[in-house]
Amino acid sequence: MTQASRILAALGGVGNIIDIEPCTTRLRSEVHDARLVDTAALRAAGSHGVMISGRVVQVVVGPGVDVLATDLEELM
Amino acid sequence: MRPSVLKYVRVRDYLRSLVTHELQVGDAIPSERLLCERFGVSRMTVRQAVDALVVEGLLEREQGRGTFVAPAKLDLQVRLSSFGEEMARRGMVPSSQVIAAEDVPASTDVADALDLVPGDPVHYLHRIRYADGEPMAIEQLWVPRLLLPGLLDAGAPTSVYGELRAAGIEPDWGEDTVAASEIDAQGAAMLGLRAGAAVLRLARRTFAGQTACVYSRSSYRADRYVLWVPLRAPRKPVAPRPGAGGAAVPGTAGVMTT
Repeated sequence: MTQASRILAALGGVGNIIDIEPCTTRLRSEVHDARLVDTAALRAAGSHGVMISGRVVQVVVGPGVDVLATDLEELM
Repeated sequence: MRPSVLKYVRVRDYLRSLVTHELQVGDAIPSERLLCERFGVSRMTVRQAVDALVVEGLLEREQGRGTFVAPAKLDLQVRLSSFGEEMARRGMVPSSQVIAAEDVPASTDVADALDLVPGDPVHYLHRIRYADGEPMAIEQLWVPRLLLPGLLDAGAPTSVYGELRAAGIEPDWGEDTVAASEIDAQGAAMLGLRAGAAVLRLARRTFAGQTACVYSRSSYRADRYVLWVPLRAPRKPVAPRPGAGGAAVPGTAGVMTT
């Protein structure tokens, strides 16, 4: 599995995503249900931290975030 | 709002503009009498306006001499360079007083910030940072010991980033979290401030590629620093194609918070 597909699965899959925005060092995602987000799996997918606030999930991934967002777009 | 409050704001904002755009550091501000006449306000209103700018750090009051324009605050730019590098770039001489330089087991929060497991060995540095001999910030810093085993072998290094680069580890991205806070009595003594003075607290994670290499927590004097943050419009978010995943609920956009 690619990093993008592991991250998408850990965010609860395509069906859970409202949108994903690359934000300098973080993927900033709005999800339908934050309870479907698997923090440990996001960490295991190579991220450096996860912040969840309401339905907004931020995943720290570093400057490669733009490439990752493009990969995610192809999976959605 | 009561008219006296609006008057106070007018005097304060006039002085702010005067201080930042017309007067030089060390210049005296206009006398209370002059300001009273100019704005048609009481001495108390003028004093209130001046007090506000003294508290903000734009003005300094010298007992028996008057009120003067304070040195400009340094912009605390959120960029990946060390305190020493930043000070040198501004033509100031950086120095440090080392309070601790030792190897310790990582606490839970330090381990989390450095992608380690609690108890993993980390180098720990605790320093007061000076610019031209004046205390500016207190900094605690942690580096994974496995990353750079000899970091503290010759005592506290002058530049941690410098040591990392010398070892072929090039810090290239990071994240700062900034909060406003008051300094405690111990920190106040280190920085030559009164207890309860305002500081900017910075927590920084520094990475080299995918390796977390430094975690630091610093307190910067709020009377000498302002935070400067460049802004850009965000890239367009990517969203599932209509029908993708089958479970998307339309029209549920919410408020984005950090």
